Amino acid sequence: MKTSPSGTSRLLRDLRSLNVVVFHPDDADGQELIAQLRRIGCHVQAFWPPRERLAGEVNLVFLAVRPEVAAFDPAWAKREDAPPLIVVVNYENPTMVESVLRMNALGVVASPVKSFGLLTAIVVARSQVERERERIRYVAKLEQRLASQRKLAKAKTILMQTRAISEDDAYRLIRDQAMTKRVTTEEIADAIIRANDILSFEARPAKDG
Amino acid sequence: MTSSLNEPVRIGVLFSQTGVTSVIETSQRIGTLLAIEEINADGGIGGRELQIVSCDPQSRQSRYRALAEKLIVEDGIRVIAGCYMSSTRKAVIPVLERWNALLLYPTLYEGFEYSRNVFYTGAAPNQNSVQLAEFMTRRFGSRVFMVGSDYVYPYETNRIMSDLVLERGGAKVGEHYLPLDATQADYTAIVKLVRETSPSFIFSTVVGEGTAMLYRAYRDAGLDPARCPIASLTTSEAEVQQMGADLAEGHITSAPYFHNLARDANVRVITALRQRFGEHQVANQCFEAAYFQIHLLADAMRRADPDDPDALLRALPGSEFDAPQGRVRIDEENHHTHLYPRIGRVNARGHFDVLEETRERVRPDPYLVSHTLQDWSMRTALKSSMV
Repeated sequence: MKTSPSGTSRLLRDLRSLNVVVFHPDDADGQELIAQLRRIGCHVQAFWPPRERLAGEVNLVFLAVRPEVAAFDPAWAKREDAPPLIVVVNYENPTMVESVLRMNALGVVASPVKSFGLLTAIVVARSQVERERERIRYVAKLEQRLASQRKLAKAKTILMQTRAISEDDAYRLIRDQAMTKRVTTEEIADAIIRANDILSFEARPAKDG
Repeated sequence: MTSSLNEPVRIGVLFSQTGVTSVIETSQRIGTLLAIEEINADGGIGGRELQIVSCDPQSRQSRYRALAEKLIVEDGIRVIAGCYMSSTRKAVIPVLERWNALLLYPTLYEGFEYSRNVFYTGAAPNQNSVQLAEFMTRRFGSRVFMVGSDYVYPYETNRIMSDLVLERGGAKVGEHYLPLDATQADYTAIVKLVRETSPSFIFSTVVGEGTAMLYRAYRDAGLDPARCPIASLTTSEAEVQQMGADLAEGHITSAPYFHNLARDANVRVITALRQRFGEHQVANQCFEAAYFQIHLLADAMRRADPDDPDALLRALPGSEFDAPQGRVRIDEENHHTHLYPRIGRVNARGHFDVLEETRERVRPDPYLVSHTLQDWSMRTALKSSMV
């Protein structure tokens, strides 16, 4: 006897509201691709050759990789919030594979295009791009926290040296100041460092110059 | 013209006559045969007789694939009518696509499929699940207990039902899957869990012989269908006949067709069915789909080269037929069928009384991930022939 949890994931629920741009020649593959996207329920626009600009909100891009677009490098693809890209390939030589890598594709659909597998490719690509963005946000947060820790350490050192107090006391001093002035400890640390820079400059002009 | 001018047009028939799903598949086979006989009595396909080449896959998945390949490669068949369980259809599709043969699939299923080589004439979830969820939560409440057979159709169907019930602020109080060869004791254990969780209704995606065991376990536990019935998409007249009306009475099924429909086209088919296969015969949704899909095929064959799958692939989409359930249509975009959702309740004679039905046929939407109850209530007007 098996049981399973439930609640359909947002990535699947969102399929119907996706604006998809398809850069593909108007051939059998292009038609099958568009027909299946419409069956899935996406809003589809198709163009060939590929465009340098994306108009309106676009949540997903399909691009047919052909020799003539191997160097395609539009500005929209480099944006931080660029829509995920799924490439449609009908060549597998190293030149074409490298251009796929350069385009930072999150999914690959092989020619001849079949209806089966597209839905999974879309959901996986969208999930990848979300995870990637999540990671970028997380890294930025970590970097900020690290910078703040460095400042705090530096401010503590300044206080310990100038006032001959322990590290714990130095920290308590910073924290109490932050609470009284209703600002973050980082801002207090910042102020201490800046003040110290100015005072040290005045104290030791000749040495540094 | 081809050299086969006077040769019969042959169709492969792939329904199990033995094994766990043989009851329902036998009725699909009968629906196929009945339609073929009608077409032949009416002059066949431009004078050519429709002939069947029949196989028995014995309810075993591997045999569906092997027999489909045999039909295509050895017998030169280009069109097959067959399959009940999704797993068997999935097994057959790669063979169809490799040899460019067609499958007409007369069974409700869980959606999320399109093969250019398949035409789906049973209900998609937006033609049965949505209506059932709407009806059950409105009439009985929104605490659902789910029990199903352990394969792909129940998982996906339960996902849809869960979403629909949760959307109504309801709760899933149980979700259990039993193997296709589960025993009566397994079902008794499940019904014990039902008693403990006191749901508003039970949603069953049990198929095959387990169906009768579930309804028996329910009756033996002394539960009351008027208060907490079993709701199903697959318990048709065939399963009710098998278990007996006394076990099934009061339980609910959502389907586009019931034997009891008072339409002329239906009365004609029921009369023909009984004349040909015996007075005891009772029709069901899978029989009906198997029946009308052959008429749609014959109609396409009369308009296009009957031996050319590509010609039939162009002729079938958009075609219509006055089926027993109403005028059905094959959708041009997704190869599924426009059908008439209905809610039925088993009566003392083992037939379904239609409690609600749509006035307009509903377009199939097999890739609908997120069903909402509002969609259905706005799209279709309910006949209020309710008690």
